[in-house]
Amino acid sequence: MDIFSQLAAGFANVFVPANLLALAIGTVAGMLVAVLPGLTLVMGVVLALPFTYTLGVTPAVILLTAMYITGTYGGAFTAILFKVPGEPLDVPLLWDGWRMAQNGRPAEALGWTLFAAFFAGILTVSAMVLMAVPFAKFALKFDAPDYFAIIVFGLTSVVALGGASLTNAFISMFIGLFIATIGVDETFGAERFVFGVPLLADGVEYLTVMVGAYGLGEVLVRFEQGFKTAPMSMGAKVQTKLPKLVDAMRMRATIARSSLIGLLCGIVPGAGATIASFVSYGVERQYGEHKGKLGSGIPEGIVAPQIASTASVGGHMVPLLVLGIPGSGATAVILGAFLLHGVQPGPQIFQTQPLMVYTLFASMFVAVFAMCLLGYFAIKPLVRVLYFPEAITSAYVVMLCFIGAFAARNNLTDLWMVGLFGVIGYLFERFKFPIAPMILGCILGPTAERTFQTTMISFQNDWTIFFQRPVSGTVMLLAAIALGVPVIKAWRETYIPAIRRGRK
Amino acid sequence: MKPVSKFIKLFGAGALALGGLFASGAIQAQEKYPSRPIEIIVPWGPGGGADQLARKVGKIMEDSMKVSFPVVNAPGATGSTGMTKLLVGQPDGHAISVFIADTHALQVTGNTKWKSGTDFKPLAIMLQQPSAIFVPNDSRFKTWADFEKEAKANPGKLKVAVLGLGSIDDVTLRYLGTKGIKTNAVPFSNPGERYVSILGGHADALYEQAGDVRQMLDNKQMRPLLIFANERVPEFKDIPVSKELGYNVTLPQFRSLIIKAGTPPERVKLLADAIAKAAASPEYKSFLKDSYADPNSYLGPAEAEKFLQHELDAMSALVTSLGK
Repeated sequence: MDIFSQLAAGFANVFVPANLLALAIGTVAGMLVAVLPGLTLVMGVVLALPFTYTLGVTPAVILLTAMYITGTYGGAFTAILFKVPGEPLDVPLLWDGWRMAQNGRPAEALGWTLFAAFFAGILTVSAMVLMAVPFAKFALKFDAPDYFAIIVFGLTSVVALGGASLTNAFISMFIGLFIATIGVDETFGAERFVFGVPLLADGVEYLTVMVGAYGLGEVLVRFEQGFKTAPMSMGAKVQTKLPKLVDAMRMRATIARSSLIGLLCGIVPGAGATIASFVSYGVERQYGEHKGKLGSGIPEGIVAPQIASTASVGGHMVPLLVLGIPGSGATAVILGAFLLHGVQPGPQIFQTQPLMVYTLFASMFVAVFAMCLLGYFAIKPLVRVLYFPEAITSAYVVMLCFIGAFAARNNLTDLWMVGLFGVIGYLFERFKFPIAPMILGCILGPTAERTFQTTMISFQNDWTIFFQRPVSGTVMLLAAIALGVPVIKAWRETYIPAIRRGRK
Repeated sequence: MKPVSKFIKLFGAGALALGGLFASGAIQAQEKYPSRPIEIIVPWGPGGGADQLARKVGKIMEDSMKVSFPVVNAPGATGSTGMTKLLVGQPDGHAISVFIADTHALQVTGNTKWKSGTDFKPLAIMLQQPSAIFVPNDSRFKTWADFEKEAKANPGKLKVAVLGLGSIDDVTLRYLGTKGIKTNAVPFSNPGERYVSILGGHADALYEQAGDVRQMLDNKQMRPLLIFANERVPEFKDIPVSKELGYNVTLPQFRSLIIKAGTPPERVKLLADAIAKAAASPEYKSFLKDSYADPNSYLGPAEAEKFLQHELDAMSALVTSLGK
């Protein structure tokens, strides 16, 4: 078939030294960017862009794309080992990944992320090669109400994050949504909760909340306990533990679900890796075979978000290549690299530049392998970190938190914010409030608000539109179920026995 | 080694370090400018037009000024977030910002805390390009006349995707509204969503600068219906411009570089000169060409200040006539 012969030519072209070097640099750079919280993927790709000016178009795009793929994986390390998510998309990895590492199985947790990233990487690139054009058509079906519905569905994963108390989970989420409203509103430019403080007008960067509440908050909790958790004993556990094929097969439903979610969220311009990751975890909590045990450190909770976020990459590249539409910050920068070299992505690119397109596809395959190889060898030394005394690792976590928060916007106030949210995170832990829903609210809040306002303006304030359109209607219905079932269940469990007791 | 000599050595090292500290303090008092990186604030996300401009100019200026020009993106609220960032900083010449027509328009359409001319000074107008109304290539509107007819028949029904409310996109559409062409301006601040909105048929038209959708124009996914300019644009000879149709609205999109007011004049001059040099470079000229921009876009500080005032007056007059 034509695709395969072109892909073969592409593969041959990847192994040209210039392209291969670009690929290697991109993979390593992507890993570094992902590990540093605060240096987000988008920022990393932007920083790398000037270095590609002097390269040819093919190595330039290969480098940036390799960074993009690897960036969805590298953050898993800090999330699982330190409870500091490297990227917002890594937040769901904390819940089971970090827990599993705490249960004494860090190598296994990292092994599962490696498996998930590898599987999703190969899948997403294959899907891209085979179905680029129909996928791109699908992207055009989405309008503002559909974006909003997807965000609402993402927010319903709150029920999965509550731990013991659903009420506390909701309180925490609304606190997060409230934090997200601080600052200048995006649609009308109105100031909210600014109190005349110019620094608040900038809004609260979700990153400071994420890094502070998780990373610093965790350190504070340990500080209170006097860092007396004994470091893990050295043993056979240091070995990288890749999951057995049988175990992976047992998880095929989870894998299928999260792959689909990742691909779809990638294609939709308003969604992306972070939302894919949250939604996938939420769905797992609702429909997974082990939904009850999710959050206690089971592999499903690691695989679902990791597959979804890596799988979204291909979804994002499709509208860029086929339609010339950048769906996310990172793809916008890659588009910039194309244009800078006088290449214009769009329907014609497959005819005008077939070798470049297929070289890019082939390079993505190779990048997935390179990333996993890098990850495989990184696991062993990195896991050792957990065998250091707690006080020492905690010191590094604090440093990582502050560097990360500063790197995001070069803003000193953000460091105070990290401190503040560190304390808030600590208080949350102390009083058994879940932190995750607050982070969820902070991350999804601004997008939810923006897409809601756009919908209201577009459809003359008719809110029923959310339930009339096929896409948004379906997603809203799913969200209602996802939210309704656990709420009713919780209500029955607490109130009905109470009423019965009252009658007696 | 005797302990005494060790002590002397230590003391000596300490004194040296102390001396160094004082010396550096003295140098700081008459600091050579620029001695540390100069931040370019982009009040928009990475990858967009303002961002590309900042990165291009920063790269060219790095060679002439011998310091780096890190780009800091501070998107939000039609550029207000970035303005806040510039204005809370020190007026010491270590931060400049990209400032575009849409943010300028906020002074008229919104209630900004800052005023151009008093809170910040322009260093240069870097890029001017006309805006246009685009439709998908297969749109039922063959010409602007078709669009006008339907907009008049169904006032407020046709959706036009714009950058944000209160932006020049919005002002221009409101002006057309006074001419009987009432449309619904729908804000999409994310460019990806904005372009999908018309290609997917969710909105009827798009208000944008040609340079920003170049790849979609060249690939025949979109075409312009009306260009807001006084004269026809060479690249689009067959497309009518606003003036010939009797619309007195040509708010051009412009991108400028500004600095906080109160910055020492000699630093402002140094920066402005370096920017002028960058704007005259062949590298920058080809950037303008690729953006479908006016090749004579550049205006120096004095002219830029007049330009900003003129644009502000034009917008105020327009908005007053719209009866805000």
